[in-house]
Amino acid sequence: MRILLVEDDPMIGASVREGLRQDGFTVDWIRDGVAAEAALAAEPYDMLLLDLGLPRLSGNALLVRLRARANDVPVIILTARDAVDDRIAGLDAGADDYVVKPFDLDELAARIRAVARRRAGRAAPRLRHGDVEIDPASRVVTLRGEPVSLSPREFDVLSALLERPGVVFSRAQLEARLYGWGEEVESNTVEVYVHGLRRKLGAGLVRNVRGVGYMVPKA
Amino acid sequence: MSSIRRQLIAGLLFAVAACGVGAAAWTYVTARDEANALFDYHLEQIAWSMRDHSFARDLIPPPSAGEREADYIIQIWDRNGLEVYLSRPHARVPGFTAPGFSSQHTGDADWRVFSARLRGRVIQVAQPMQVREQLAAGLALRAAAPIGLLVPILAALVWIVVGRGLRPLEAIAQAVRKRDSTSLAPLSVGAVPVELAPLVGELNNLLARLGGALEGQRRFLADAAHELRSPLTAVRLQAQLAERAADAAARGRAIVELKGGVERATRTVEQLLTLARQAPEARTLVREPVDLVVLAQAVVTEFAGQAAQKNIDLGLARAQPAVVNGDSAALRVLLANLVDNAVRYTPCGGAVDVEVGTEEGDTRAAFVAVCDNGPGIPAGERERVFDRFYRVPGSGEVGSGLGLALVREIAGRHAAAVSLEDRPGGGLVVRLRFAPPAARRAAP
Repeated sequence: MRILLVEDDPMIGASVREGLRQDGFTVDWIRDGVAAEAALAAEPYDMLLLDLGLPRLSGNALLVRLRARANDVPVIILTARDAVDDRIAGLDAGADDYVVKPFDLDELAARIRAVARRRAGRAAPRLRHGDVEIDPASRVVTLRGEPVSLSPREFDVLSALLERPGVVFSRAQLEARLYGWGEEVESNTVEVYVHGLRRKLGAGLVRNVRGVGYMVPKA
Repeated sequence: MSSIRRQLIAGLLFAVAACGVGAAAWTYVTARDEANALFDYHLEQIAWSMRDHSFARDLIPPPSAGEREADYIIQIWDRNGLEVYLSRPHARVPGFTAPGFSSQHTGDADWRVFSARLRGRVIQVAQPMQVREQLAAGLALRAAAPIGLLVPILAALVWIVVGRGLRPLEAIAQAVRKRDSTSLAPLSVGAVPVELAPLVGELNNLLARLGGALEGQRRFLADAAHELRSPLTAVRLQAQLAERAADAAARGRAIVELKGGVERATRTVEQLLTLARQAPEARTLVREPVDLVVLAQAVVTEFAGQAAQKNIDLGLARAQPAVVNGDSAALRVLLANLVDNAVRYTPCGGAVDVEVGTEEGDTRAAFVAVCDNGPGIPAGERERVFDRFYRVPGSGEVGSGLGLALVREIAGRHAAAVSLEDRPGGGLVVRLRFAPPAARRAAP
């Protein structure tokens, strides 16, 4: 899952990025509101973590502008403003969740997964497709109840496809989810991961739509 | 406890009683004088009216018992000194006196006597003084009586009027009683009597000052709580990363980060405490001669290590003697903050100059300047950087946002002005200019 973190405090920003990366998220970090807006226009993000007290363009203003432009990226506000009024204002401006500093990294990761789940219209924390079940929190995949060992990238591709069965993802879309800024994108890597998935979980799970991309058929 | 009501009543009643006594005394004296004149005239007239009478002593019957007797006594002697008439036999009557008016004492009474010699006879008319005194005393009493009767009525009236007059005081007391640290609304001045208006006005001023101080404290606490969240969030996250670290090298890196976070939180807390201590209500300002050159040398020495780490050339570029009156500890905090900021925001390899001296010209104002060749502060931000917790956007440094607020606070209490200027060739000059000696003496 690719996340845009907008946070002007260097220490907090660095720690959140590091922590979320360890949890398997792809994180890009930006320090001001205007640059965040540009990044959101340029790249597809699955989640926006937004501080409110940002230079140049405040978090609230950025959120209002995003929603006015019908950008529906899921947003979690991270802020030191804990007054009830602030929370209400943030949620009503279009945020999906509101996390008050200081917060716990594990809790933040759990909230990110919860918001993603709600957005996908699922209540169950685990994704299930036929005999395959994946747990985004523990990043464990089972086939007919037996654990299957996947590389982190393979897991990311699988969870992206399983989150929206029936939707075809292009190679570029999958790459954008896998790699943050400054990460080298190797050619044919998506094909390599898909090949790995088919080998470990069965050839029928991930379908190739020739000339377009990949999908997991609807169950 | 003294009571306005009791004092007023006692004073008023004393004044009224004194007036009564005075009026009675005055009436007595004037009435007696008038009675004297009138009765003297009577005495004389009676004497003259006796001049033509002849007296046959035997023809006058003695007065019978119960018959009212006159106060006056008439005595007449012939030219041989023989008493020819005595209007009333009396135990002791005044004897033969010199012509004209006189006062006589006969042992049982005082007499007023008029004596005249006419055609060889001596006619003498006497009247007891007691009559005159009783008359005057009666008049005096009648004059004083109404005042005496008025005293209790006045006392009651005064009691009531004073009570009414003091009622606004009770109302004010009640209004003040309702005030506490959460409600310091001013008292209503509308219905207050003129005499109490200054008291209410001063109370309102006091309430306003208290309210301002409390509001300041509340805002400071709220700001402080809010601003402590960022360093604490960083520490918490860094601690968690250290905990998660898979190997010793990663843990080592995480702990270095964590130490940085703790250092930052510590610095924020320290600056908050310093700011709270520097607040005007928290301390009295020490006034002692402070040698700015010595102070600047101490601060430059203190930051030499930090500057060397960034390869910044930190030094005292100009050191003319300059001595000001002030609090050396506070001034050191001020200068340390300026140098700290300069070293922090100047890129590696830069230069920070501290200058101390007195200005040219008549004023001879002492100044301290800290010049750096860092990024400077945009003109639009120069006022806001003095606000508590304000940080220049995108500056990239993790400060507490309190340094310049502290600088301004301390400078203000030393009647010194802080200004931010562009340095020719890039960078920032922070100039602290003390009020010139003459103006400083004139200032309170």
